[in-house]
Amino acid sequence: MNIELTDITRKFGGHPAVDGVTLDVGPGVFGLLGPNGAGKTSLLRMLATIVPPSAGSLRLLERNPGTPAARAQIRRRLGYLPQNLGYYPAFTVVEFVEYFALLKEMPASQVPKAVAAAVERVDLGAKAKAKLRTLSGGMLRRVGIAQAIVNDPELLLFDEPTAGLDPEQRVAFRTLMRDLGQHATVVVSTHLVEDVGAACSEVALMAAGKIVFRGTPAELTARGAGHEIGDSPLERGYSAVLATSRKQVAA
Amino acid sequence: MNDDIDLDRVWVNVAAEVWHRQPGRVERTAARLLRSPGLARALVTTPSLLLPWLIASAVVLAIGALTQAGAGQPLVWLIAPAAAAVGIAYAYGPGVDPAWELSASMAVSDRMVLLTRAVAVFAVNAVLGVAASAASAAALGPRASADTAQLTFAWLLPMAAVCGLTLAVAVAARSAGAGAGAGVAAWIIVVLMRGAVGDGIGVGGGGLAVRLTGAITDANLYLPYLAVAACCAVIVGYTTRPQRGLQ
Repeated sequence: MNIELTDITRKFGGHPAVDGVTLDVGPGVFGLLGPNGAGKTSLLRMLATIVPPSAGSLRLLERNPGTPAARAQIRRRLGYLPQNLGYYPAFTVVEFVEYFALLKEMPASQVPKAVAAAVERVDLGAKAKAKLRTLSGGMLRRVGIAQAIVNDPELLLFDEPTAGLDPEQRVAFRTLMRDLGQHATVVVSTHLVEDVGAACSEVALMAAGKIVFRGTPAELTARGAGHEIGDSPLERGYSAVLATSRKQVAA
Repeated sequence: MNDDIDLDRVWVNVAAEVWHRQPGRVERTAARLLRSPGLARALVTTPSLLLPWLIASAVVLAIGALTQAGAGQPLVWLIAPAAAAVGIAYAYGPGVDPAWELSASMAVSDRMVLLTRAVAVFAVNAVLGVAASAASAAALGPRASADTAQLTFAWLLPMAAVCGLTLAVAVAARSAGAGAGAGVAAWIIVVLMRGAVGDGIGVGGGGLAVRLTGAITDANLYLPYLAVAACCAVIVGYTTRPQRGLQ
């Protein structure tokens, strides 16, 4: 298993953003669904080793990120796209991707080819030498995806990756995710149910910091039988599970 | 025509050649000394991150001016380096650095990157200070450049030396914490030793406050600072020399 979480909790100011999550994830595309404030981003930031858990056990790529040496080893094999990609406006696309490839401690001799491959993979070859400040939001998102995949990671974390992409780019990205998921563990946090249905082999639904459902997209769809809220079968499953979860919390 | 040619692969090889910018001599040297191309790139790109650079430089120069205004006040002198470090940390931290979230997930420790940036801020400002002193001396005479020179030699050079030592230890020990500890310890030792020497042989004279501030105000120490910095560079160069089988 590339991700092993046992009773993970993360509190901010006493409030649990992630509350007792236990999860094992192997290779494939894993969707993380949930409404705003459910704890998806906090969970992803722990998986990206940016924040440590307040309690519980976390193992990534069979290592404990609590020690600096293991953390560095994990980070060399990690790709992460944050929800809000910060960037340096004066950098070109290639400079930005290369900068983060070097910070991932890729061997310097492999960096130019890896950068070119990543930039081409997100279809930004024509903009390779363009300054980031001249790019559209969708293009910047693809730059973020390029830096995430440049080191051919074994663990990929995407936080709202399709935000800002047009429909054609979104379809291309789903194909890319499926391709990446053949060898790596790809975790995609999103509130777009159709992304999960199209690309993910497995899905978890978070609400109030807890995982309230885990299964395949087909199993989530089945939960929506007889439920009326939602435009698609998968959306109906999503809202049915959420409704049940809220009732349980209220009770 | 050979149908087996993978045009995508060919194009990626071509693009890699065309798009890649060869690192300059400074970056190559820094990569060898720091044992990390990533740290070297972080070092050379530091000034190009304009807003954090301006904020960090403004903080450092403002604190330098404050320390001169507070000459004889040991608290100001002792706290100033820490305040400057905090200012630099803030300038390149989550508050201002747009890509901090991404940097925090990288294999090259964000603390190491911060250390290299602190060295860059002090060292580049010190070089600019020396240049400004020389330029104003040439244009307006030696007296006009005195203030700039004082800021450079009494603040930027010692701080560049302390930060250089911190970075050297951090790189050698592969631990930003060890480097920071060594830097702080070295600074405290210098301040206390200078105070003790002043007490013993009367150098600097005056009370405890004046003696403690001698670590910066005593012009006789500038050369030793440079010598220590040079020794650190040699030690780092030796301990980080390229090893067989490693890049």
